[in-house]
Amino acid sequence: MLDSLETFFGSGIVFDLTNYFFFTYGILLLCLYFTGVVLASRAIRRTKRKANFLQVADVVSATDIPSVTLVAPAFNEGMTIIENVKSLLSIQYPYYELILVNDGSKDDSMEKLIREFDLEKHDASFISQPIPTALVRNIYRSRNKKYTHLTVIDKNNGGRADALNAGINFATTELVVCTDADCIIEQDALIKMVRPYLEENKKEIIACGGGIGIANDSIIRNGVMKELRLPNSIVPMVQVVEYIRAFLLGRMAWGEINGLMLVSGAFGMYPRKRLLEVGGFDAKTVGEDLELCIRLRRHMEDLGIPYKVVYLPETLCWTEGPPDYSILVKQRDRWARGLWETMAINKKLFFNPKYRFMGILYYPYWLFFEFGAPLVEFFGLLCIIAFGLFGWINWPVAILLFLAVYLLGCIFSTAAIFMYVKSFDHYTKPRQVIELLLAAYLEPFVYHPVIVFGQMKGYYKKLFRIQSGWGTMTRKGFKVSES
Amino acid sequence: MNEVTLLLLIKILLVLLVVYWIAIGISMFYRRIRMRRLAIIEETFADLVSRYLYNDPENPISISQINDRLKKIGIRPGNRNNIQYLISLMIRTQRTIIGSNFIKLQKLYGMIPPYGVSIAKIGSWNWYRQARGIREIYEMNQSHYLDEVLKYRNDKNIYVRREAQIAMVVFLGWESLRFLPYLKWNMTLWQQIKIVEKLYDLYPQPDLKWLQKAYETDRSFAKRLLMRIIRKFELHSEIDYIMKHLTDEDYEVRETAIYCIKTFAVSRADMSFIKAEFDKIPEPTQQLQLMNYIFENSDIDVPFYLEQLYGPNEDIRLSVAEILWNNGHKQKVQEFYLQQYPNTSMHVG
Amino acid sequence: MKKVLVIQEDLIILKILERLVNLNNYSCKAIRSLNELSIEDQQNNFDFIISDILFEGIAPLQFVAQVQEILLHKNLLIVTNMGQDKIKQEIFALSGIAGFYAVPIDLDEIDATLKAYNE
Repeated sequence: MLDSLETFFGSGIVFDLTNYFFFTYGILLLCLYFTGVVLASRAIRRTKRKANFLQVADVVSATDIPSVTLVAPAFNEGMTIIENVKSLLSIQYPYYELILVNDGSKDDSMEKLIREFDLEKHDASFISQPIPTALVRNIYRSRNKKYTHLTVIDKNNGGRADALNAGINFATTELVVCTDADCIIEQDALIKMVRPYLEENKKEIIACGGGIGIANDSIIRNGVMKELRLPNSIVPMVQVVEYIRAFLLGRMAWGEINGLMLVSGAFGMYPRKRLLEVGGFDAKTVGEDLELCIRLRRHMEDLGIPYKVVYLPETLCWTEGPPDYSILVKQRDRWARGLWETMAINKKLFFNPKYRFMGILYYPYWLFFEFGAPLVEFFGLLCIIAFGLFGWINWPVAILLFLAVYLLGCIFSTAAIFMYVKSFDHYTKPRQVIELLLAAYLEPFVYHPVIVFGQMKGYYKKLFRIQSGWGTMTRKGFKVSES
Repeated sequence: MNEVTLLLLIKILLVLLVVYWIAIGISMFYRRIRMRRLAIIEETFADLVSRYLYNDPENPISISQINDRLKKIGIRPGNRNNIQYLISLMIRTQRTIIGSNFIKLQKLYGMIPPYGVSIAKIGSWNWYRQARGIREIYEMNQSHYLDEVLKYRNDKNIYVRREAQIAMVVFLGWESLRFLPYLKWNMTLWQQIKIVEKLYDLYPQPDLKWLQKAYETDRSFAKRLLMRIIRKFELHSEIDYIMKHLTDEDYEVRETAIYCIKTFAVSRADMSFIKAEFDKIPEPTQQLQLMNYIFENSDIDVPFYLEQLYGPNEDIRLSVAEILWNNGHKQKVQEFYLQQYPNTSMHVG
Repeated sequence: MKKVLVIQEDLIILKILERLVNLNNYSCKAIRSLNELSIEDQQNNFDFIISDILFEGIAPLQFVAQVQEILLHKNLLIVTNMGQDKIKQEIFALSGIAGFYAVPIDLDEIDATLKAYNE
């Protein structure tokens, strides 16, 4: 078998083609990253400048600004549910409603909520359900005037997307923010998120996302990030860098050319009207955030209304990242399956000029460089092993090439860290920055192979139709400090 | 690609990496010093302003003392960043206060730096500096620059023209409605909000002459702006203008009209008019919003609700059913559902 | 001497209010958040508390309820940037609020309130 492989790859054309494929793919990716850095720096500078004309204090005191509902689904989060709700209630926005959706929890979440917030049952007979969801059992509101902004929906379990849809149905505000109950949202996050909607001019904003940060081992007090610390272990530590790079470089750059296809499920704001028009989140896919964003874009393309998807560079939402390799693999496996499903659902977009840039550029990018990257990496690895075995690799050149590519990767990560440190004051201690840089430089060895494995596992499941749901993502919980 | 080229590439990349490290170091060092400096400026300014507004007769503070202290903390013509920060503090303070202290503050601002910095920015080629300059001029009420600022009201940069238009309202008050509805460019929601607020804070006495003249406009943004003004000033005499736009063909105009009418309790005749217009609204979500308003502001009009109950939209039917059910007309709802689903029994309530 | 507690995160408003209170012959404790309050301060019965409602980690309504619960006082005045009618109504619904001033504020009104109480 080794001989036949050697004969196959040894034929000049296949060998050259393989080499040229990987080389071209790498160069294209490099160019995209470089363009990303340029676009992202421009976008960040512009966002900061714009913020000067619409400051947080301006929005806080303004009347006539859109009302916002934050929808937070919770499933079996009894341990932390009270703290989480208090944290979400403390978000500062004048016209703010919080809808907590208890998605059929089997623990004591509901009892705890009723007791703590003095909730009373309201008639749910006449609730309209523009988006069909699992049965809504009851609606609860507080008798206590301190909690007038809180509504709790108690429903049968239907999954995260279904719970979000129930909240969207029940909301009455213009804008809806979808998040998770265990996320720590910055106090002024809604004020900042609403800015693009206030400033929209020629294009309607159909989705707005904010930066998401990893807060493992940070100190939380009263549901507020009291002290942002870097995680103690390497897996979440590298994720800090990964998120900074993804949000600051990737999302901002795509936002700059209105090419964003994804607003993270952990924290995204949408006009309720448009959510209802497209039927909310798709409960059948595990990548519901990506799927929704693409569906919204398609909907606007079909309507022929100019639109925009925007991202804010600042970290507005903190979440707990997978603390170890096994949970990381589960997460990336799920993301990969979600991506597969969304790519499949939207295959009609592929080089479809009817959808303009989305069909010609953005979808193919996602297909080749987001969906395709793990495949290319995996097959690249196989080729290296095979070519190495056949003795076709010029090792001194290969090692130098690897070193050059590695350094390029380090430069992109360092650029992202530089932009973050320059623009925001989350990581201000020299020690923290050095640790972040070290994590970035270790990433290709201790982290990246694992996520490729997770992604390939997800693809494998899809390819062989192995049933798998969300999987359990065990969280350690933040460090809570009493005031 | 040979080894020599690759080695050269690696060297270049290493240099680039080192440059980034140095940049990170400098940026962190600068930020630390800067934050300390800004804290000192803020604290000093807070102390000076509070002492100036409420001067202690036993230990009064003079303008020269204020200027000396400002100079000591780095407010000098050569230090543009410090001056810019001081300006932002001055604006922040001025926007916080009205009444006699507002006038006192203006007097103070005329006697301390930065003299003429804002007007110098207007001539800049950079939109950011221009817009900031205009903003500073109107926030600090430097009305003598009105003519220079007005030139930019139709500028192609959204921020420059937006600030110029707000300046127009700050300096001209209600009379600015002569121009606003006829501007070349669209007006964002934030612009409308800001204009209404400036008008409300600075010119609380409505001048209906200008408002009514502006009704002639057919621009969507202008209609929305005018309705917001009527709402903010609670101009009961002008609600006809809002009612007229409940069925406007533009979604946004209808949305604003429904939002604004909610502020007012209308007469029976006007409510009848609104009910008559109800079916002409093409969006069920907007009809629902108006339905809530009708319910909260008028007696139960059974024929009107029954008409909607037997209407085509499921969400409206549900909403009407709830209203009738909770307001003494359970039987009507039961009749409706029995007619719709003759083989099922109701489990409501 | 009568006592006033001023709680404002904005340093400039805090200093101005502190000055205004002091010149009206009250003893003033000016802080930027409840965390700065010492145990002795908490035992005082303040004649006035002049406070904002926007603080980190606590919703405006909860903050007001907490102040009412933990601090002895005779009058609670709210001075805030978030002064929309809706917020005002919700705050007054909690009862026990002596005054609500939305920014921009006329300091003369607060001055008059303090003077009237002193007479």
